[in-house]
Amino acid sequence: MAERTRNQLRAAFRGLCDGLDLYIRLVGAQFRAQLQYRTSFALQLVSNFCGTWVDMVTIVLLLSRFSVIDGWTVGEVLLLYGIAGVAFGLGDMAVGGFDHLSESIRTSAFDRVMTRPAGTFLQTLAGEVLLRRFVRIFQAAIALLIAFSLTDIHWTVAKVLVLLGALGSGMVITASIFVIGAAFTFWTVQTSEITNVFTYGGQEMMSYPMSIYADWLRSFFTFVVPLSFVSYLPALYILERPDPLSLPAAFQLLSPLVAALFFLVARAAWELGVRHYQSTGS
Amino acid sequence: MIEVTDLQKTFRVHRKARGGPLSVFCREVVNVRAVDGVSFSVADGEMIGYCGPNGAGKSTTIKMLTGILQPSSGRMRVAGLDPAQDRKALAKRIGVVFGQRTQLWWDLPLVDSFELLRHIYRVHADAYRRRLDEFTELLDLGPFLRTPVRQLSLGQRMRGDLAAALLHEPPILYLDEPTIGLDVVAKARMREFLAHLNRARGVTVLLTTHDMADIERLCPRMLIIDHGRVIYDGATEAIKDRFGGERTVVVDLEEAAPPLSVPGAWVVKVDGPRQWLRFRRAETTAAQVVAAVAASSRLVDLAIEEPDIEEIVRQIYEGRPDPT
Repeated sequence: MAERTRNQLRAAFRGLCDGLDLYIRLVGAQFRAQLQYRTSFALQLVSNFCGTWVDMVTIVLLLSRFSVIDGWTVGEVLLLYGIAGVAFGLGDMAVGGFDHLSESIRTSAFDRVMTRPAGTFLQTLAGEVLLRRFVRIFQAAIALLIAFSLTDIHWTVAKVLVLLGALGSGMVITASIFVIGAAFTFWTVQTSEITNVFTYGGQEMMSYPMSIYADWLRSFFTFVVPLSFVSYLPALYILERPDPLSLPAAFQLLSPLVAALFFLVARAAWELGVRHYQSTGS
Repeated sequence: MIEVTDLQKTFRVHRKARGGPLSVFCREVVNVRAVDGVSFSVADGEMIGYCGPNGAGKSTTIKMLTGILQPSSGRMRVAGLDPAQDRKALAKRIGVVFGQRTQLWWDLPLVDSFELLRHIYRVHADAYRRRLDEFTELLDLGPFLRTPVRQLSLGQRMRGDLAAALLHEPPILYLDEPTIGLDVVAKARMREFLAHLNRARGVTVLLTTHDMADIERLCPRMLIIDHGRVIYDGATEAIKDRFGGERTVVVDLEEAAPPLSVPGAWVVKVDGPRQWLRFRRAETTAAQVVAAVAASSRLVDLAIEEPDIEEIVRQIYEGRPDPT
């Protein structure tokens, strides 16, 4: 019995390694393909880099007029913005392939995915990873550094872990929203605008303290679509701010767990979508 | 190798009800039976043509046989597996070529696609090397192995796609319109390679095509389906003898004229100065028909059409008796 379990574990581990190996190769191919068009790539980098500052300038202008938003200073809001930006940037870069599922279904490219002996999730995940998305992550990281210099955070090991946890969890949570949105595409074929509300809209929302939003909106973005766990709750811990909404303090540390659960939901939604596709076609 | 029993696929199609502004909300749901009780079996090493007009249910059948779609009912067995249950296991035993869409990485050199597929299919490095060398020689891939796929001609790309589908040495190959858009030389080369593959390797091939010549050259047996049902399953030779007996000469005259009268041929269509004349091969020849036309009117251009699959299906329905 123990022998069997060990063999199963070993097989699962080998499967994981093979999957990772394939993922890295497919993403590497993506990068090489994107670097084929050097001029266009460079131009995209420049235009993306300029574009990404607009949101941040908005925040700075807003706070230069009001000096605080709901008791949060510029530096503190930039901390939210930076965490949300880096997390969203990572998530968006990781799952770009899901954002283009609609096209893949319409052109039957998804049929090809189905005829290969690898998981549909893995293949879609590795299907489109855009190098130029690094720009957004880079810009948000700068915002984060500015936030650090504007606030006087007393750094502890726990706070560093919470910050890193927030970035990783935030990446998984935003990526999961993209995946769930993509799963709906199996029914609607067209990418729904509703997905964009939660992804791009969500990033914008996460850049401000959740306490400024209406009750129902806050509850929704904590318990249904857990965006509060990306930046707001971890930021409360890092800044040692009291929670005006009096959620249990433990919530501020729960981001990784919430992200893992939300990812499982996304994964299940994806499998459901693929099964629907198998019964209806495009 | 392939065993299909009473296969059915029904799609629910939403149709907008006609009328008022609220019609979006009262859509009609219609069940469309794309595949309606198809049964056939393909033996190990057989090469079979799977034909039918557009919308007959060909691609739906292929999609079920590859595990892309689940059947509504019926039984399938491919290489000992149920495609609906074992999609991934089956994927390793089949090769699929869709003529109209490539599976190659557009922006990368051809050989990079092969390398990636080697990892997707987990082909051992030695076996991969051996097969790549073999296909490079047979399909003459050498000159463009390092060229980005987007720069290849259609013929080169199709050869690349064929090699890509065969790197994992599948015992079964599905080909969907592999010669579409190719010129005569490229078509001939493709057919030669497929025949070799079938003869030397014993690969079982299911070929879907519009080109009757593909079937005649490659497949001793053919299946014809229409409206989701098999209307013919038998020797290709018999179909050719029964329905391939008629050909059409298309003539372009200098100016529009009333339907021509030519012995042994009859006009089936007139479009301005262009006329279609059909004749039976057993009764007269294209040369005689053309000579007769040229003798009576001023002939500008001409072409000869082979009967296509749509034409054959039409004739099967008409139950046209054997012309000889």
